[in-house]
Amino acid sequence: MNYKLFTFLGFTMMMHTVANADGMVVDKVYHPYVLPYEQEFEWRLLSRQIEDKNYLFQRIGYGKALSDTFAVEGYLIGQRDNSDDYGLHAYEIEARWQLVEQGQYWADWGALVEIEKQHQVDIWELTSGLIFEKEINRTSLTMNLFVVYEWGNTIDNELETEFRAQYRYRWLPQVQPSIELFIGEDFVGIGPGFMGLQRFDGQKQLKWEAGFITEVSHRGKDHSFRIALEYEF
Amino acid sequence: MIKRRLITYSVVFSGLFLPLWAYAKHEVEVILKDHLFYPAQIEVPAYKKIKLIIRNQDNTPEEFDSFDLNREKVIFANRVASIFIGPLQPGEYHFFGEYSPNTAQGVVIAVESKEEQP
Repeated sequence: MNYKLFTFLGFTMMMHTVANADGMVVDKVYHPYVLPYEQEFEWRLLSRQIEDKNYLFQRIGYGKALSDTFAVEGYLIGQRDNSDDYGLHAYEIEARWQLVEQGQYWADWGALVEIEKQHQVDIWELTSGLIFEKEINRTSLTMNLFVVYEWGNTIDNELETEFRAQYRYRWLPQVQPSIELFIGEDFVGIGPGFMGLQRFDGQKQLKWEAGFITEVSHRGKDHSFRIALEYEF
Repeated sequence: MIKRRLITYSVVFSGLFLPLWAYAKHEVEVILKDHLFYPAQIEVPAYKKIKLIIRNQDNTPEEFDSFDLNREKVIFANRVASIFIGPLQPGEYHFFGEYSPNTAQGVVIAVESKEEQP
């Protein structure tokens, strides 16, 4: 019981001090698991609507598990710019580690490192952090805490942080509703989400997830809709 | 400011690591042979963490899969894998082998006794 109290107090404290990287705070909440032999194609979309502007990001990626605890994934990221032109915005390489056996300890842990380079602009971003998941009967609490360092000739170098959380009810394989939370320096967003999967032969399966996040820390319209599809094989 | 935040995070996440000594005490051994689980029906105590030790005696890998147990784990050919499950509420939890879903099927039955109530 003391551990649960400590955890609750700790994360409450953390939520009041967390700050975020520039740009879009809402994104995928990572889970700390890696399956050997797994390959995947992934597509993500993020649409953020503020008063007079809509930011639209899409990314496609290919990932592969290189061992039973380590996986890498590469992404091409597209963005609609200020002229409403849609084009390549950045490239990214991501590495994930599963640090402990699922279910062996009180909670499951993973780690993530990403490096992103913007297309035709000297802006880099290095993200690293911890992934946490705790199973509570038929629900799962997943939390991501990332430290982000940005540098380049056209931006100020800075160190920032991001916090993401998802509390999910594993109702059916195809429908697992959740509440998602994203916190940043000028952004606290919360909203409903869901995820699910459909299995095919062998390791083939299609996973989907979506969330509708509303900014709640200040006035003004700021809604984000995210959707992701992953085909694993 | 950043330094203070990092210290805060370190304290919080160190705290989350503290209960790592909660190892499973109950172990159950399962054989995977000819794409079948032996035994296919596994009775375990409710409210306890269980370590399933699965010996894959086939020459092909298998993936232990269970939505009920919230587990996916690849068991390499002719190797042994450990899968930690629970603590489970009393009831039945189905699992199957993803590469041989028609044959490799089983169920974990969590049984409650007076001593094992939470």
